[in-house]
Amino acid sequence: MRNKSVIAEARQIDLAAELIRLGARLAVLEAETSLSRERLLKLYKEIVGKSPPKGMLPYSTEWFTCWRPNIHSSLFIDIYHYLGKHAGVDGIEALIRAYKLYLEHVRIHDTECVLSLTRAWSLMRFIDAKILTTIPCTECGGQFIVHKMDLHNTYVCGMCNMPSRAGQTNKARAERESRAGMPDAEAIVPALPLDSVVAQATTIPRRRSRLRHAVV
Amino acid sequence: MIPEFQCHKMASLFKKKNALIYQQRLTGELTMTQDELMYEIRETNLTYLLLAQQMIRKDQATATFRLGIGVDSAQILERLSPAQILKMAATNMLLCRFRFDDQMIFGLLTDHGREKAMTQSHAALLIAGQPAAGLA
Repeated sequence: MRNKSVIAEARQIDLAAELIRLGARLAVLEAETSLSRERLLKLYKEIVGKSPPKGMLPYSTEWFTCWRPNIHSSLFIDIYHYLGKHAGVDGIEALIRAYKLYLEHVRIHDTECVLSLTRAWSLMRFIDAKILTTIPCTECGGQFIVHKMDLHNTYVCGMCNMPSRAGQTNKARAERESRAGMPDAEAIVPALPLDSVVAQATTIPRRRSRLRHAVV
Repeated sequence: MIPEFQCHKMASLFKKKNALIYQQRLTGELTMTQDELMYEIRETNLTYLLLAQQMIRKDQATATFRLGIGVDSAQILERLSPAQILKMAATNMLLCRFRFDDQMIFGLLTDHGREKAMTQSHAALLIAGQPAAGLA
């Protein structure tokens, strides 16, 4: 498709560049901008420095109802709905702004960015297509993503009713241990009575010197 | 119309005057008198309004989300002149309102339990779900 207006095309390129910087896949760009595939490819290579990944986009609606993804994507979609309802923006503009606000939240709280822009975009489309919807949790009242056709009269969200072992992944454990310095430090060094601590304290200099020899 | 940077200058002048009082108050040497309280409120109002205006001018949609206001209030705030802002700030009431009237959000924001990041996300989600403050 050929663009008539140069200014309109510049705007489209701007939009595409912003989406690429946020991590959009080629299918998203093709759907949201009127630029040709070749131009988008060129733009992608110029910004990212390599060819876009090939293959299908993640298409599972199930993913959005898993515990951690559900929380992240519910937060995103709540921001998106707020922007649509109160700020008067919608479509891709609202998506970009909401996604940036989501990224900000993730950065501030030092958590992993679970929701990619491509997933956020497909979430938006799933909601438009009425496959997924948001309903309020009966305990906290926040809006959460659920399947449209499920029964949810007594829906309780994943944070009011945390599933056991939720968030206790290997990765989280490794992080906790690295923060503590050593794995299970208390288990290795049992609590000692005060006398023995004092007695040990006198031997510490000798140990240190031994260590220094060992290092040299 | 006074340019924006001069507004900031004004705001920082307010702050400089009060720096000593702040310090004394922190160390407990001084309790707040009525006049000082009025001064503090005015300063907070001024800072709030200037920041809000700057945010709205930069990106209106994002600012409405951050401020928790509707698009109509945002447009009014954007159009305020510095003189109007000064006039608005000089009252005995705070112009920014407490945003969480919900026990739940309070609890979440002050919680120290496991999965700290998750409770923060929960609180953010609940705040995003609140209705925007707008014009009636």
